[in-house]
Amino acid sequence: MAKSYDYLFKLLLIGDSGVGKTCLLFRFSEDAFNSTFISTIGIDFKIRTIELDGKKIKLQIWDTAGQERFRTITTAYYRGAMGIMLVYDITNEKTFENIKNWIRNIEEHAAPDVQKMILGNKCDMNDKRVVTKDRGEQLALEYGIRFMETSAKASMNVEESFYILSRDIKAHIDKKMEGKNTSEGRNPPSVIRPTPDGGGGFKGNKPSWFSRCTVL
Amino acid sequence: MEKKLSSFTNSEDVVQDGKNKVAIYCVHCTSLILNPATGTYLSNIQFDLPTMTQKKNALTVQTDPVTECFRVDDMYHFENIGFSVQANDVQYLACADCEFGPVGWCKDKISFIALSRVRYEL
Repeated sequence: MAKSYDYLFKLLLIGDSGVGKTCLLFRFSEDAFNSTFISTIGIDFKIRTIELDGKKIKLQIWDTAGQERFRTITTAYYRGAMGIMLVYDITNEKTFENIKNWIRNIEEHAAPDVQKMILGNKCDMNDKRVVTKDRGEQLALEYGIRFMETSAKASMNVEESFYILSRDIKAHIDKKMEGKNTSEGRNPPSVIRPTPDGGGGFKGNKPSWFSRCTVL
Repeated sequence: MEKKLSSFTNSEDVVQDGKNKVAIYCVHCTSLILNPATGTYLSNIQFDLPTMTQKKNALTVQTDPVTECFRVDDMYHFENIGFSVQANDVQYLACADCEFGPVGWCKDKISFIALSRVRYEL
């Protein structure tokens, strides 16, 4: 059978427990099916097909499925990842603060050129908001990555965010391929990376990210 | 764009030249699982596929026997699908959008969709 797609991207969802990572993967959240069998054993990953600029793209999306609670997110999980959604809950300050720790974890374990995006989820719960949109934007700016507020419950910006991240990955890959084709043996493309202390905050006595991880 | 989706009645309606004749959708929502002519029809499978809901406090997993399937050799041939965590040597397949399932299973990288657990664009 002919190849049924043009690109294949592995994406990860990262963030504290309870920020709604799993819900981001439901397209019909209102109408989710409560299968006792499937929900008991849990979903490992999902395959989604999207179209970008006339190209068929297969997304393999991995959810930590609660692994973050046991602090076992390691190199194996990050292997081959081309895009990472960093998710926090706009009604929970701690989940926002932990984004920096997750970024540090990513820098330690993932490929240096992995494309990242920060999502402030649950933006339908504005009355309980504790993290302003401004602070989210500011944090993303600090790291030079994209930012969006989403609501899995209201299906707001969820699909858009996956399209945006996929578009970034595609652009990155296309650029890399172009570089390879035009000048062999050239240095790999330069990657903008945050400074070791994340461009502010956590100076001096930085706590281990484990100690800051919320166990819910 | 309203699609007309039909439940499974018999394989003659949905199989053509040994493949799935039409697109395959979730039973519960309108998520597209497989494009036409992507799965190979098999009629002699013997697999006990767990039922979607399980009785509380049951000691064993309740299953339904499955004989008719579409085999999908490459997981990326699916349009949308969810893979469960491995259990009993297999990964169970569920709808990517609403997690209805299991609609099939995957063993040794080969996936099987049970004809009776999906809908068809007929």
